[in-house]
Amino acid sequence: MKKERIIAIIKTAMRISFIHALLISIGTFTTYAHTVEAQGALKKTVSITKKRVSLKDFLENLEVQSQVKFVYSPSILKSHRMVEISSMENNLERVLEEVLAPIDIHYKVENEKILLIQNRQEIQVGGKVVDAVTNEPLPGVSVLVRNTNNGILTNEQGQFTLTAKANDVLVISYIGYTGQEVRVNSGKQVYNISLKPTTSDLEEVVVTGYSSQRKKDLTGAIAVVDVNQLKSQPAASAVEALQGKAPGVQIITDGAPGSTPQIRIRGYSTINNNEPLYVIDGVPYEGKLSWLNQNDIESMQVLKDASAASIYGARANNGVVIVTTKKGVQGKPAISLDAYYGTQSPRSGSFPKMMNPTDYARNLYDSYIRANAVPGSTFTNMYGSGDNLVLPEYLLAGDKIGLQVTPADADPGLYNYTRDGGTFYQITKANQAGTDWFKEIMGNAPTQSYQLSANGGSEDATYAISAGYLGQDGIIKYTGFDRFNFRSNTQVSAFNNRFRFGENAQYSYTENYGLGSNVNTPGEYQDEGSALGFAYRIPTIIPVYDIMGNFAGTKGGALGNAQNPMSQLYRAKDNKNRSNFFFGNIFGEVDIIEGLTARTSFGLRYENYNGMTIGYPNLEFAEGSNANSLSEWQGYTTEWTWTNTLNYKVNINEDHNLTLLAGTEAVRNRNRQLNGGRNDFFILGNLDYYYLNAGTANITNASTGTVGSLFSIFGRADYSYKDRYLLSATVRRDGSSNFGTENQYGTFPAGSVAWRLSEEDFMKSAEWLTDLKFRVGYGITGNQRIPSFQYLDRLQSSLITSTYAIGGAGTTTGVRQNAFSNAEVKWEELKSLNVGVDFTVLNGKFDGSFDWYNRKTSDMLYPVPLPSIAVGGGASPYVNVGDMQNKGIELTLGYHYGKEDDRPFKFDVNLNVSRNVNEVVRLAPGVTQQIYGAFRSLETTILKAGEPFGSFFGYKVDGIYQSDAEVEAGPSYTGARVGGLKYADVSGDGVIDPADRTIIGSPHPDFIYSLGLNLFYKDFDVAMFFNGSQGNDLYEATRYFTDFTTFDGALSTRLMDAWSPTNTGSDIPSLYRGASDFEYASSSYYIQNGSFFRMKNLQIGYNLPADKVFGKGLGVRKMRIYVGATNLFTITNYTGLDPEVSQANSTYPVLGVDRGIYPIGRQFMVGVNVGF
Amino acid sequence: MKRLKYSILGASFLLVILSCSKSFLERNPQGELTYPQIENKEGVEGLLIGAYSMLNGNIEGLWASFASAPSQWLFGEVAADDAHKGSNNGDQPNMNLIEQHKPTSTNDNLQVMWNRCYEGIVRCNNTLKVLATVQAGEGEKFDDARAIQIQGEARLLRAHYYFMVWRVFKNVPYVDETIPVEEASAIPNDVDVLPKIEDDLRFAEENLTVEKYNEEVGRVNKTVAQAYLGKFLLYQHKEDEALPFLKSVIDAKPDIKTLPFTDNFDITKENGPESIFAVQHAINPDGTGDNANVGDMLNFFYGSAPISCCGFLQPSFDLVNSFRVTDDGLPMLDGGYQNDPYVSDFGLVDKKDDSAKTKYQLDKTIKFDPRLDYTVGRRGVPFRDWGTMPGDAWIRDPGFAGPFVAVKQTIEQAQFTTNTVAGTPQVTGLNVNIIRLADVYLMAAECYVEAGDLENARTLVNAIRERAATLPKKMVGGTPVAAYNVKPYPSFLNPDYAKNAIRFERRLELALEGHRFYDLVRWGIAADVINGYASFEKKYLDISSSINFQSKNEYYPIPQTEIDRSGGALKQNDGY
Repeated sequence: MKKERIIAIIKTAMRISFIHALLISIGTFTTYAHTVEAQGALKKTVSITKKRVSLKDFLENLEVQSQVKFVYSPSILKSHRMVEISSMENNLERVLEEVLAPIDIHYKVENEKILLIQNRQEIQVGGKVVDAVTNEPLPGVSVLVRNTNNGILTNEQGQFTLTAKANDVLVISYIGYTGQEVRVNSGKQVYNISLKPTTSDLEEVVVTGYSSQRKKDLTGAIAVVDVNQLKSQPAASAVEALQGKAPGVQIITDGAPGSTPQIRIRGYSTINNNEPLYVIDGVPYEGKLSWLNQNDIESMQVLKDASAASIYGARANNGVVIVTTKKGVQGKPAISLDAYYGTQSPRSGSFPKMMNPTDYARNLYDSYIRANAVPGSTFTNMYGSGDNLVLPEYLLAGDKIGLQVTPADADPGLYNYTRDGGTFYQITKANQAGTDWFKEIMGNAPTQSYQLSANGGSEDATYAISAGYLGQDGIIKYTGFDRFNFRSNTQVSAFNNRFRFGENAQYSYTENYGLGSNVNTPGEYQDEGSALGFAYRIPTIIPVYDIMGNFAGTKGGALGNAQNPMSQLYRAKDNKNRSNFFFGNIFGEVDIIEGLTARTSFGLRYENYNGMTIGYPNLEFAEGSNANSLSEWQGYTTEWTWTNTLNYKVNINEDHNLTLLAGTEAVRNRNRQLNGGRNDFFILGNLDYYYLNAGTANITNASTGTVGSLFSIFGRADYSYKDRYLLSATVRRDGSSNFGTENQYGTFPAGSVAWRLSEEDFMKSAEWLTDLKFRVGYGITGNQRIPSFQYLDRLQSSLITSTYAIGGAGTTTGVRQNAFSNAEVKWEELKSLNVGVDFTVLNGKFDGSFDWYNRKTSDMLYPVPLPSIAVGGGASPYVNVGDMQNKGIELTLGYHYGKEDDRPFKFDVNLNVSRNVNEVVRLAPGVTQQIYGAFRSLETTILKAGEPFGSFFGYKVDGIYQSDAEVEAGPSYTGARVGGLKYADVSGDGVIDPADRTIIGSPHPDFIYSLGLNLFYKDFDVAMFFNGSQGNDLYEATRYFTDFTTFDGALSTRLMDAWSPTNTGSDIPSLYRGASDFEYASSSYYIQNGSFFRMKNLQIGYNLPADKVFGKGLGVRKMRIYVGATNLFTITNYTGLDPEVSQANSTYPVLGVDRGIYPIGRQFMVGVNVGF
Repeated sequence: MKRLKYSILGASFLLVILSCSKSFLERNPQGELTYPQIENKEGVEGLLIGAYSMLNGNIEGLWASFASAPSQWLFGEVAADDAHKGSNNGDQPNMNLIEQHKPTSTNDNLQVMWNRCYEGIVRCNNTLKVLATVQAGEGEKFDDARAIQIQGEARLLRAHYYFMVWRVFKNVPYVDETIPVEEASAIPNDVDVLPKIEDDLRFAEENLTVEKYNEEVGRVNKTVAQAYLGKFLLYQHKEDEALPFLKSVIDAKPDIKTLPFTDNFDITKENGPESIFAVQHAINPDGTGDNANVGDMLNFFYGSAPISCCGFLQPSFDLVNSFRVTDDGLPMLDGGYQNDPYVSDFGLVDKKDDSAKTKYQLDKTIKFDPRLDYTVGRRGVPFRDWGTMPGDAWIRDPGFAGPFVAVKQTIEQAQFTTNTVAGTPQVTGLNVNIIRLADVYLMAAECYVEAGDLENARTLVNAIRERAATLPKKMVGGTPVAAYNVKPYPSFLNPDYAKNAIRFERRLELALEGHRFYDLVRWGIAADVINGYASFEKKYLDISSSINFQSKNEYYPIPQTEIDRSGGALKQNDGY
């Protein structure tokens, strides 16, 4: 006899005697009836009169009828009081079986009695979960009774207790560890479990649309972001840190403090809004994310294809980013503090180089001579006449300029810096050495972040709270961002964990200050009207300050009409934009029957924002005014989302897993904003004085608002067979107030299947293969994000557009039609096919995935501009006419060394590469192209069928005209000249005219890539992260100012190498006063290669042996200190400030056009994480 | 039982949500109106005001609508021989190309002009359409008199907008209130719109009364219709048909000799007897300027001028010299004014040993028509109540656009407080004349010449000249700044002489009021005059050197944007 056998027998014996003992012990409470022969009694016919009866009555009744004594524990009666009876008359045996079996009671005839035994006794089990490698307790491990909602998380010491029945299976799972299943043995109460860390994270449970799945069961294209990696990169916005972490997700950041970068998931799906939908703790959110604290994020998933995202229906075209914030973990409070301090500095090597004043004057003079023009008196007053140019000592003294200024004029006694234009007398010395304006307006800027969090809880309630502060100054002076945030997530369970409710809530206060303080509107801090735009335009001969320390400027002559960018920045230092932002939800969940859970969640977004802008007189500016102004605004946005779901999970025969979900969702939003402004304040610069009442002129006020609502029903089914074949189907029907009755509703179905090859028997032999899964998904999503009420003709009664002084004086307000309708306007639809494969080999040493997709947007909403004869100056409606396509591939590869056997030296390498090919397939009938992106007289961009969205458009430079003969011979244009740009005759008609404009570049990269390296050696860790973009073009629109004589201003040093009769090889046109507008028209001269490779992040950390350093008494659990650097280096040939150029807004998004962008700084920082 | 309870709860819950979802999804536009809300009498009157509201060419607020200015300073004057764009080379470079007659179809000024005119047309059409709906509906209606008056007003305005856009582009598409939006988008520009414009004008002339609705001065009435119809017919060379209408206007008005010339450009004398059709400009009650003279806002001066702006619209040397008179006080009709021209301090330079520019003294002996100094600002001459014009200190780039500034679009400094926008004082409340009585006199004079009645023509021209003679002399230090002299024509020798004299008089009297280019084109002399002007003017200013006016330049290219948007229905004008 084998040893196991003996033990089994002993065990059985023990169990029997245990039951006996139990029976004896409960015998005290048993009821005795008449003694009869029990076996015979079982054949006796009994009849029951009620269909539903209490167990106690039932048993008593049977005792009377059968004359047999029942022996049972009173607890049986308690737990199953009522029983259902199906057969009214039968023999006792059958009746007992029928009634008792469903309630898990079996009977036994013994000693002429019938013993009733609760089949599976509920027992209290508990234990401890530890890391199999380190033997350290693991807190927060999920211990769940399979196929029930009965579960718990381990506490701080890794311990758990719960009630289970014999033969139940406990499922123990924890992110980063291989899950275990343990069968509950009725005789065993303590289960100590050691979990092996997984080398792959396939067991990780991720949140998808309205439910959650194991990562390995995913059938759609979902990028699961490694949140730890995310955290190693300091960023004001969680989105920024996402850069390069998920394949197929392109993030373009700019350096403005607090700005939310631009995120594009699998390219541009529409010519309209391309921002993804965020789902934060189950509540959909559209908008910027600067309010969200990165440290609060527990997990982040990007749903990329329609099969994953279409459960979010009409808002899912641009992909969905699911964010789950940190939840409480049972146990004593765990407190942690994260803090860092750093300094950002501008990458001064990338500053555009401008000519010094001497070169500038010479080049400007030559540009007149070249054009046979005479420099005007303003020029000669500044630099002298004839070929003998000099630099003036003074730029301005009163109304004298340059060389006109006599020592008497420059007498400081005359100086009068006033806001009265009549007596304003400024004296400004020339900066003959030249001012480097970029250097002046940028400087080092500190960043600091302090985050404190705590979590813990008991069996029935858990909490996680956090609070923090982030302060980020901009590298452009006098700009910055502050954020205070507070979060509280709690969950409470009741009725034996069958009812759960809780809340996730965040409040944050953010404040932007300085020029363009409204970072959600890029135009204000970038582009030509910003300090950056003017830094390209202001002549270098102008000093920052005049002789008395007030701002110098372009007043006078020959200095163009740029503003002094420093004056703009300084004067805007008190401009503020503040936001009180609340976002959260309350939810309740109840388990109705086993596996069936109803959930309701009410989410609320409430933002109350306000801000002010102060304007100062700027008489030093050529087009200055003495106005000083204050404008203020106040507004709020509310949006509530009420979601109700029913979720049913069932497991049949262990092999079939089915999850069904049905739900409804209602969303309503409203925004309202009040603006006011005034001019003429008695004193300037005093913040205590700046109230609207104190202004006396230009009294304005306005208010605007929007409303919208959505109502949806949706369903979802996930099925898996033996973990081998996975199937998922979703459908959503959305109704939106954005559309008229004709097309109010849209339906968005999707389905996906996956085959886990590695689970097949024939693959089991391949030991090296840990996991291999093929996926195919197809689905339809929608986009409803267009301006509201396109289905209605709308009229406007306004002072600006429809008012007339019909009575001669005063005004009478009338009405005009400002918007024209399209009653049939409906959803954009995106059909997407995704084929992918996920693999993990060598027990997790290598892993990766590959996806191919084809996304086709149809019925694309396109505001086909109608001719003026139809709509005048009114807005043309959106029509569903366009098609757009994105095809692409994504590849992720990972290599993990030393993790599975816990070597002291470990490292991970992760590589992401993705390629997306965009094509505008169709615009509108009869509309083959649409030129847009106006920037001064340029129109940079075109929408054209067959070309990528946002393609650059203009003339193709074909060299420089070398001789009059060449100009004469053509092809040429009006005003063509020797030394000027020569264009290709694309239309072939012998002349250069607008018909020769063509596609001259694409803002879309051939591919984007990123590389992450994480190294660990004992207590040290190093994280490195690189990202890049290859093959995209950028449109350096600032050349409009710096390379031509369109405006008097700064000239790029590029022109030092311009074409001349002695430098005929140059491809830079010579400077020519009064050049034809063809010369500075949109052309390939502006197009530059935008490829770059950037070391985005480097962080080196050290885990202090906390016990040794602080001793056990202090309670310091963990301490890590680190140093880091971001944007350490950038490799690019791009000549502008920064190769990351976020889109500008025009009729449609303008991609990759650099009109003066806020560059990203280089940051060095030190930080600490402490756990208590 | 429990399960049932849940299901009932759940089902009723769902039912409630589903049943309320219909109204849940019905939201209304915010701060906007829909047609049912304006299909009533108030709505029609509102739409009509909206139709008037486009007269100032402005739809977007400040800094946007210059090419469509009612003064037509860009297409009417800069494009002719009267003025330069002004400012400097880099400012609004596309306007340089208008001045040089090198417009390409993508020049944004063309699109602005086209778009604003059609916005006006759409508004007129909407007024007529909703008027018809209201009159045919069940609700309260207009009485017949007001209904027909509204039609008359709206149709006259529509004729005006069509006339404006026709003058610039010639081949323009036509829609009226019966054409739905979808069809309008595809209307070609191959049909002559003139008969339609004439229909509207004749309807207005026949149906409008002299009395204005509500006695509001800004409304159009029978007199406006007559003057406009006369002007329109004159443009069609139907002088015989035009004359009776023009004559009725003249007869209805006081003798022009009793009406001061300066009243036309005096913000305190607006809507006086000489004003026939003027665009009403006013500062908004809140102090903003969207309904004021936005179109001319660039035309204020630069540097130390009391209103400092951008320095556009600078009178040409040619215009200034055309005000020179012979010893007889008559204009130099033979073009002799180009000989030995007066150029103010242009070209003088201060040097170390000789500050020639600073020392420049105004020559007060030059014989000028006194209207010069009420049309052009020049160094050494008092400029309104602003003080003496200092020369370059008010000019952005004299080397680019000359030493002169324009007067008629400015206002007295004393009026700044109440008639300019605070902080943006270059936006004034000054009305802009579309048709004034002197214009009607001179148009009628043209008609008389065609009818062979030189004497009546001469009488009308001389009335204008006699009035000019009464202008107060501009004085400095007690002496006139010029040898002012303007005399009536003693006789018109022959029809050609008469024609020439009237044309010259039109230039002098209406200089910088937006007529010149259109007059040159309708007289068929645009190429001769403009090319001749360029060869004179280029001696001073480089901008004029590359002008080569060809017959195609009489009309501008159809804006490329409009051709694109029409899906090919619009065809480009010949030569572009």
